[in-house]
Amino acid sequence: MGIVGVTFLDGVRRVNRAPAILVGVWLSTCAVTLPLALAMRAMIVEHLGSSLAADAAANGVNYEWMQEFADQATGVGVTFKPTIIGFAAVLDNLSAFMDNTSRPIVIVCAGSVYIALWIFLAGGIIDRYARDRTLHAHGFFAACGVFFFRFLRLAVVQWLVYAFLFGVMHRWLFDRLYVRMTRDVTVERTAFFARVALYLVFGILVAGCNLVFDYAKVRAVVEDRRSMLGAVNAALHFIQRNYAAAVAVYALDFAAFLAVIAAYAMVAPSAGGAGAMVWAAFTIGQLYVLARLWVKLLFWSSETTLFQHRLAHAGYVARPEPTWPDSPAAEGIS
Amino acid sequence: MRGALVAILSIVLGATSPAAQPASTGVIAPPLSPRNASYTIAARLDPSTHTISASETLVWRNTSKTEATELRFHLYWNAWRNNRSTYMRESGLRGTVRPDADAENTSEADRSRIDVTSIRLTAPFAADLTAAQHFIAPDDDNESDRTVMAVPLPRPIGVGESATIEITWNAHVPRAIDRTGVVGNFYFIAQWFPKIGVLQDAGWNCHQFHASTEFFADYGSYDVSLTVPRGWIVGATGVERDRHDASGNTTVHRYYQDDVHDFAWTTSPDYVERVERFEHPTLPPVTMRLLLQPEHAVQAARHFAATRATLQYYGEWYGAYPYGHLTIVDPAYHSGADGMEYPTLFTAGTRWLAPGGVVTPEDLTVHEAGHQWWYGMVGSNEFEDAWLDEGFNQFSTARAVAAAYAPHYYSRRYFGGFIPYVFGDIVLSREVDDNGWSAYTAVATRDEPSTASYKYFPTSAGGITYAKTALWLNTMERWLGWPLLQRIMSTYFARWRFDHPAPRDFFDTVTAVAGRDLGWFFDQVYRSSNAFDYGIDDLSSVEDGDERRTTVVVRRYGEAIFPIDVRVTFANGEQVTEQWDGRDRWKAYVYTRAAAAESAEADPGRVLLLDVNRTNNSRSLAPRTRQASTKWSTIWLVWLEDCVLSWASLA
Repeated sequence: MGIVGVTFLDGVRRVNRAPAILVGVWLSTCAVTLPLALAMRAMIVEHLGSSLAADAAANGVNYEWMQEFADQATGVGVTFKPTIIGFAAVLDNLSAFMDNTSRPIVIVCAGSVYIALWIFLAGGIIDRYARDRTLHAHGFFAACGVFFFRFLRLAVVQWLVYAFLFGVMHRWLFDRLYVRMTRDVTVERTAFFARVALYLVFGILVAGCNLVFDYAKVRAVVEDRRSMLGAVNAALHFIQRNYAAAVAVYALDFAAFLAVIAAYAMVAPSAGGAGAMVWAAFTIGQLYVLARLWVKLLFWSSETTLFQHRLAHAGYVARPEPTWPDSPAAEGIS
Repeated sequence: MRGALVAILSIVLGATSPAAQPASTGVIAPPLSPRNASYTIAARLDPSTHTISASETLVWRNTSKTEATELRFHLYWNAWRNNRSTYMRESGLRGTVRPDADAENTSEADRSRIDVTSIRLTAPFAADLTAAQHFIAPDDDNESDRTVMAVPLPRPIGVGESATIEITWNAHVPRAIDRTGVVGNFYFIAQWFPKIGVLQDAGWNCHQFHASTEFFADYGSYDVSLTVPRGWIVGATGVERDRHDASGNTTVHRYYQDDVHDFAWTTSPDYVERVERFEHPTLPPVTMRLLLQPEHAVQAARHFAATRATLQYYGEWYGAYPYGHLTIVDPAYHSGADGMEYPTLFTAGTRWLAPGGVVTPEDLTVHEAGHQWWYGMVGSNEFEDAWLDEGFNQFSTARAVAAAYAPHYYSRRYFGGFIPYVFGDIVLSREVDDNGWSAYTAVATRDEPSTASYKYFPTSAGGITYAKTALWLNTMERWLGWPLLQRIMSTYFARWRFDHPAPRDFFDTVTAVAGRDLGWFFDQVYRSSNAFDYGIDDLSSVEDGDERRTTVVVRRYGEAIFPIDVRVTFANGEQVTEQWDGRDRWKAYVYTRAAAAESAEADPGRVLLLDVNRTNNSRSLAPRTRQASTKWSTIWLVWLEDCVLSWASLA
């Protein structure tokens, strides 16, 4: 097995050996989204009141009520549409991502909080995968604390790059180039393939930037770098020297993402009825979320593994393992 | 035997062969209409410059009770001459055209224009009117609008007198806009020739081109010769009578049709042509000619089936389709020509990926084919009373689609609108979804239908014209019963086909056929923009000695009035239905029973489809709100988690 396969499988192993991280990020996801879901529940309760429309909504899809609710709703309520059901939810979000569709401000705020949470957790997660041994909570959060402000600085760079990609490049590709490319196209299939080509271009640009920022984080953690611009530069050098392996590992990780999407497409529950079916559908949905989180962690673990295989050795981390109460995070808390 | 075999083969092959020709000739005898505006047109398309040069001879008869001191013509293509036309200004209100789009987005090559180069009267007297032509704006005094041309006459044309007018003109074909124009080598040419207005007793009815309304014209015969590049396929109103090659590598196609009030045509080298016949035990046969985009060739059967369903249901419900032929045009991708009706021809519209269970292309095909009745044969004024054709047709479409395509499902398209996803959980209903209830509720109080349609606010026109009318017609069906409504509509169709009915003609027909005055109902749905909203305000069931006293308060939240039923259901299964005239603001019902009440419903039979808020129509003493809200908030939670996870992939 080549370096790519070994790295990928080692990445899988490292994620699986740290289930607490997976559970932790899932709980974090719930912590961010649950308040909004409770707010949505309250809006539904208020709209339904004691109407018999609730019976139909409990037993299946009361599409008429859904339309009435969405038409009268504000804030997050306007997102309450059939597209939240089952696999359509995934299509809706992927499509919105690729088409740069705007979301209500409340959703954007929740997303921002969630991203900030990931910025905080990134250092601890990558440190755990890099060391490949149990650090316990204090070690994990110490690393989180050490790297939070570094990654916050990196996030500024990331934000600028992604703002350019989504704010400028996406508009140029899809609002100008695509329109120009398909201006005299009279065959929908041709227009579709033109759009797919642009999705690929845009996707490769996003993935390329993502790859660089991932390795910047990995190098920052493994080599205890303080300069984030230096980390980005180092990441670019690493990718340049290990282009094939880095891209292949990333592609394998992306294939894992597609596999999760495909699997969910097959098992995604419909709106279903009431009672146990609700919780069965919810459980399947959460298993899907867990799988998505697992894939996200796999990207970092496999990239960390590849870096260590190439430039260091497995388990090498320049920064000494923090011990309680030396952790800056712990001091910060106290 | 051999002859029989040949006959059978010719029928079988003829039914599917691309070369099969329509059997009808376009000639109708005796005349079905007054034929007071007949055109002979010769037009030449130059694809290299996107121009049409043409001449027409119009024979026009004054059927009004007033003398014509001038002639008025529609020059619709001047609507896209610049951004100062009334059409473009109204489009700006609708948000489809930005005020600065004139300079920024539209090149001269994309714009259209129509210039009359000469206009001469040859009968009843000779006169060159070219110099007298000028533009007027009878609707809004917009001096920049050139969509209505007036031509003063040296002497009037009297009542019953005929005039022959010869016109030559040049036109530039726009880049596809509002069902007209060119994209690639696909041309759809509509509202393209100088077209005389309708002279009524009160004077000329010749409106400017507006952003949210359509057209109005007199009936006549059309004899049109079209010169297009050789090898290009042509579809047009009427029947092709002659085709011959001409100089410059071109072919002349001559089309003819009696008793129509418009002529549209299309040409492209890419069309795939199919022909089938509609046969019915009691209705006349119709040759259906389908011009398809190659990428939609596999959907030919779906187009034919939908057209067949329309010819059958509309024919059975309202009256027979008399022309014997019908051309279905599947327009090119993003030509903007989809979903439009013309006499004996209509444009459907489908997608490359068109999954089963979703009524694309069926819904649009039925709707546009249905316009042959409501627009084609019953020629109401679409500028002023658009609901008489669009609303009637929306209602009829929903009814026909429900009959032919049940069940059909909600779908949505992702990734730039290309990838369809069918929601098997959501069966669309005729009453709510196909009538357009959601479109109506969004604009319920914004315009009165009795307002001239071209004066509707552009964004509310659709919800009022199509959806509100369909909903109140469907309400009438549920209230009076289909047999009576069918008699009303078929009587109206029979009385007013090949004529120009006004709203009062329909209301008079209702009164005559129903045998009662329903003016109060039309006061609500036609002469008012009030919303209907009935609901259960309170339901309680308390102990009263050995029994339970149940109190139900039903309330009229909206301003509009309609009689409704109120149904109370008790725990022992007993149901009590009250009839409330719905006039007061509220009404209380009190019952003393051994059993407690379970629920109360206002309008339980869902007669009043115009009710803008159905959720408040019922109340339960054991509501399942908790279960429903938990279920739907958990479903939404997964969507939200997936949403933020998508963004977090960048973190």
